Amino acid sequence: MTDYTQVLFKNRRPGETASLETYEKTGGYEGLRIALQKTPGEICAQVKYSGLRGRGGAGFPTGVKWSFFPADQPGEKYLVCNGDEMEPGTYKDRQLLLADPHQLIEGMVIAAYALQAPVGYIFLRYAYEDCSQVIERAIAEAEAAGYLGKDILGSGFSCELHLHRSAGRYILGEETALINGLEGRRPNPRSKPPFPAQRGLFGRPTNVNNIETLANVPHIMRNGNAWYQQLSAPESSPGTKLFGLSGHFNRTECFELPLGVTLREVVQEYGGGLRNGKRFKACLPGGASSPYMTAEHLDVAMDFNALEEIGSRLGTAGVTAFDEDTCMVAVTRNINRFFARESCGWCTPCRDGLQTISWLLDKIENGQGTEDDLTMLHDQVRNINGRSFCALAEGAMGPVEALLRLFEDEIKEHIRKGKCPFG
Amino acid sequence: MVNLTIDGKQITVPKNATIYEAARDNGIHIPVLCYAKKLLPYGACRICLVEVEQMKGRLIPSCTTPVTEGMVVTTTSEEIVKVRKTVLEFLLVNHVIDCPVCDKGGECDLQDLTYEYEVVTNRFEGEKFDLPTDEVNPLIERNMNRCVLCGKCVRVCDEVVGYGSYSFINRGFETKIATAFDRGLHCEFCGQCVSMCPVGALLPRPFKFKARPWQLNEVDTVCGYCGNGCTVTLGILDKKVETIRFNDKIGVNDGNLCIRGRFGYSYVNSDDRLTKPLVRKGNQLVETEWDEALQVVADGLKKAQDGKGAGILSGARLTNEEMFLLKNLAKTLGTGNLDHSGGECYKGVTEGLLETLGVQASTGTFPQIENTDVVLAIRNDFYDTHPVVGMVINQAVRRNNAQLLVVSGKGGKLSKLPRAKTLLSGPGLELDVLNGLCQVLLEEGLAKTDGLEGLVALKQSLAEFTADKVATKTGVDADALREAARQLAGAGNAAIMLAYGLPYTPLSKELAVAAANLSLLTGIAGREGSGIYLCGEKANSQGAIDLGLLPAADGLGAQAMLDAAAGGKLDALYVVGEDPVASFPDRDKVEKALEQVPFLVVQDLFLSSTAAKANVVLPAASFAEKDGTFTNAERRIQRVRAGVPSPGEAKTDGEIIAALDAQLGGSLAFTGPEAIFAEIGKDVPAYAVNYTEIGPQGVVWGGEILQPVARKLGEAVAAPMVEGAYRLVTGSALHHSGTTSTHAKGPLAVVPEPFVEMSRADAATLGVKEGDLVKVAGNGVELKLKAKVDLRMPQGVLFAPYHFKESGVNRMFKTESVISVTISK
Repeated sequence: MTDYTQVLFKNRRPGETASLETYEKTGGYEGLRIALQKTPGEICAQVKYSGLRGRGGAGFPTGVKWSFFPADQPGEKYLVCNGDEMEPGTYKDRQLLLADPHQLIEGMVIAAYALQAPVGYIFLRYAYEDCSQVIERAIAEAEAAGYLGKDILGSGFSCELHLHRSAGRYILGEETALINGLEGRRPNPRSKPPFPAQRGLFGRPTNVNNIETLANVPHIMRNGNAWYQQLSAPESSPGTKLFGLSGHFNRTECFELPLGVTLREVVQEYGGGLRNGKRFKACLPGGASSPYMTAEHLDVAMDFNALEEIGSRLGTAGVTAFDEDTCMVAVTRNINRFFARESCGWCTPCRDGLQTISWLLDKIENGQGTEDDLTMLHDQVRNINGRSFCALAEGAMGPVEALLRLFEDEIKEHIRKGKCPFG
Repeated sequence: MVNLTIDGKQITVPKNATIYEAARDNGIHIPVLCYAKKLLPYGACRICLVEVEQMKGRLIPSCTTPVTEGMVVTTTSEEIVKVRKTVLEFLLVNHVIDCPVCDKGGECDLQDLTYEYEVVTNRFEGEKFDLPTDEVNPLIERNMNRCVLCGKCVRVCDEVVGYGSYSFINRGFETKIATAFDRGLHCEFCGQCVSMCPVGALLPRPFKFKARPWQLNEVDTVCGYCGNGCTVTLGILDKKVETIRFNDKIGVNDGNLCIRGRFGYSYVNSDDRLTKPLVRKGNQLVETEWDEALQVVADGLKKAQDGKGAGILSGARLTNEEMFLLKNLAKTLGTGNLDHSGGECYKGVTEGLLETLGVQASTGTFPQIENTDVVLAIRNDFYDTHPVVGMVINQAVRRNNAQLLVVSGKGGKLSKLPRAKTLLSGPGLELDVLNGLCQVLLEEGLAKTDGLEGLVALKQSLAEFTADKVATKTGVDADALREAARQLAGAGNAAIMLAYGLPYTPLSKELAVAAANLSLLTGIAGREGSGIYLCGEKANSQGAIDLGLLPAADGLGAQAMLDAAAGGKLDALYVVGEDPVASFPDRDKVEKALEQVPFLVVQDLFLSSTAAKANVVLPAASFAEKDGTFTNAERRIQRVRAGVPSPGEAKTDGEIIAALDAQLGGSLAFTGPEAIFAEIGKDVPAYAVNYTEIGPQGVVWGGEILQPVARKLGEAVAAPMVEGAYRLVTGSALHHSGTTSTHAKGPLAVVPEPFVEMSRADAATLGVKEGDLVKVAGNGVELKLKAKVDLRMPQGVLFAPYHFKESGVNRMFKTESVISVTISK
């Protein structure tokens, strides 16, 4: 394993959560001091030029998102941290919070100042009881130390943060559904436009960022853009990334790696190969909604652009591996069931379309599939992609589309044999 | 304005239009399912997807996407058609195809779209649900197996009605629409959800298996109940009103209806309707021919007029034309004793406004309320008497963030709307609170006093109404009162809402003066976009005022006629379309008057408790059986259209009055509503409108804003304080209007009988449960009423609605608005 620079995980110790003291000793809240010397516009510009891209899955440039925010508009504005982390195979935000939670607090205060949105909500996944305690403690510590609350570090800027625990549904990770959930409504996504930056939480301008994204901000403030950009090789994807490994790896842990490491390195060096010495067949590179990568992609660099070029997505970088004995139809069926169940039920293609795909995959996996079903499956991907209200259905189509593209022979074998070839 | 191209056609539309609206308004068809004009954009069904050249790569929902300059839209292509077909296939996967027995068949959006897109087979197969239908309530049948999850019911109930009966529950394929805890409907039963449902998932139960939609003959007319003047569409089969439909395309009030308008029609078809004239022979009312009955009436009235005199008392649900004829009949007869129901009540309110503003009607129109910043509702009952205007208030609050202020002696629907601030006073003390608001405006220099007369006298009379004094007397928080006054003064546009009606007779003039004072001091009266709204209880209350269906200078008003009759000083009374025994205050006096008067003629739909005492009973037509005009509470003159013939030999009030006039030697012929309306125009300049030009939206006389012709402040007076452990007030219940609705199955299905409403704390103290029979005694009268327990009631305050003749509430209320009572099990 290469000794890569650890940024987010530099204070990670097994079974320990870094205290405020530890955090401060390693440069914690220096980024905030530096930021408060600058104008909000300067911070937004720096984040933009740092090249930081959103870590929640879409990889949208964070500084560009901030530049859409009407920081000068009078009245209430909100900063929301999306900590819903419901994507299957994704647990990096949890690891980050349990390791060194003040990074998030500091990042949010800087973002709140940069966006002039002095009220922040941390929207946390329902199941993360341990993280909620960690966050509450970190908020209390930061308030006591003057990093949060009124007149932060004598700058005149005040900021308050609130922790909200989700009611626990996948759709809450969609930012407008999250806003509805935060308001106490049923978490259906909202129509865009208006975008949250125009009308978000309580009808006011709102910026939503992922935990890991915000946690990167203090480090960029403290160490500068040049430092940040040299952390990784690809120009388009600067910085490090938390990779959460799961599935058939020998080591299912979370690692902080520079963007652009090859899949081979992830699989062999960090995942320690596959269990029982099996061969690598495929993986979901970034959560259940990212299209599969196969053994032929082992030398592809794990960054936002390179994965898009091969028809996949880096997503959350929650890498789930499947060994050679795995039936990819069964995997896809399993994933699709999840998405069909978690559809909010609002728009027709997602609510009913995902269910029809479930039925088709059931049929094929159970050995009752026909060539017509395969044709229909192809058609359904086209019927659903780009037709639904939000990105959930499109995400759900990722693995289905990849199954058809990469494993069509395996589907045909199911149909030909009238049963699952993997038994 | 924005320029764009749709299907090669260059069009220009307002910049807030969506692609769908732009297309629709330019004659380009885009199919929709979850879109509804009066609801916020939704974008869920995905049937309206189109291609936009600037947004390649995905299809764009036309119903939610705003137009932008230079946009190039294609509404139909091979791909679009395929997507729409697929959406329909998806929807049909779990839809029960029971069109042959579905009442929606023939006017079902899903059916029509399936036909339009020729979805002959479905490529998808899967499970269908077998959800139970909601059989709990008698009015709205919910069959969720037919639901397409467009969410219109959820949205209309929230966005328009403000009740929130429905919500989506569950996720994914199992998503469905449910009521609280999935226990079935328990709501206002306005039926707005039924109106909005594009498929057969929500149906009016009384209409089940009555007719196929295409068999119905539809006639647009005006609801005959309250002063809102909502357009209702009679659904007629075989000369019978089988259902009430709605018209949200061109109708008044956006096709919004309440339970009365939607489900309160069955009295028209009632077997209890009078079908032949009745003449008292001995002790019996005996069916006779019209000729004989009219002769008896004419002789009786003439004789009375030659003696101590005759009087005419009318209801307020006659058309303008009928009221005009009645006024002329009084002339022919030579009597000045003429009034319409309530007498003191209507007269009081309109006189109050006349003395201050010089006009006798609402100064604004209802749609303007939606865009106000502050709405002041006097009494929570405003929603109960005028639900559809209440819905407009709800939209002002929810959509446009208006601040709602409620001055009321009890809680209610309006108080529950978002951010509503209720100045909760002791019962019957709303008047003092209004005066208190005026005082704060003057004291804090917020009042606009330029050009106002009577300021000195008002200031003097307001000395007793400082915020602190009002707070002490009424229980309203002094700071809340001050804050409310400031909000009213600071509003760009505001509306003051005051409803009046038979149960609100006491202090009506004083309340109107106080409301008018407030409208003058805040500048609301006459300001564009603002208004003071006086809303009459009945469909043509405003028409009665406009036409002057009122006592002559030397004549007797309603109460005076009853007093005279009770004292043996009146020889005949002709009561048209009113049941004073059941509805007027002081039933004992009314009964005495009717017993004493030697000759009583009653013209009605039913053998009412008043008619039962008559010498002659004349069978009249309902609103569904006549042509003419009503004027609603926003001064909108609307066409009433006959849909069905009257039962038996019943005739319209107009025909009867004209025939009687002829018998009495009058010159007035019944020449039809159009000619009579032209006659009205000669008498009442505001009504000089061409009858045939009265379109679906009616004609608002005086324009959108009626400018006050006077600006004279009236003096403030205090409401009497009634002490007591329990204080009873009366008023209207939401589901009823006047006494007519007690003949209609719909409202009766929800509120079948009189009740007394009390707080939970009082119920606990008394050991009373919902539905228990309790004795309420006061003013020397004891009533037995069923208890209703509701959180809206303040402790120690009881409420009993007045609609039910069997309740005797109007026996207890003589001239008071509040009575100290005792209550026991």
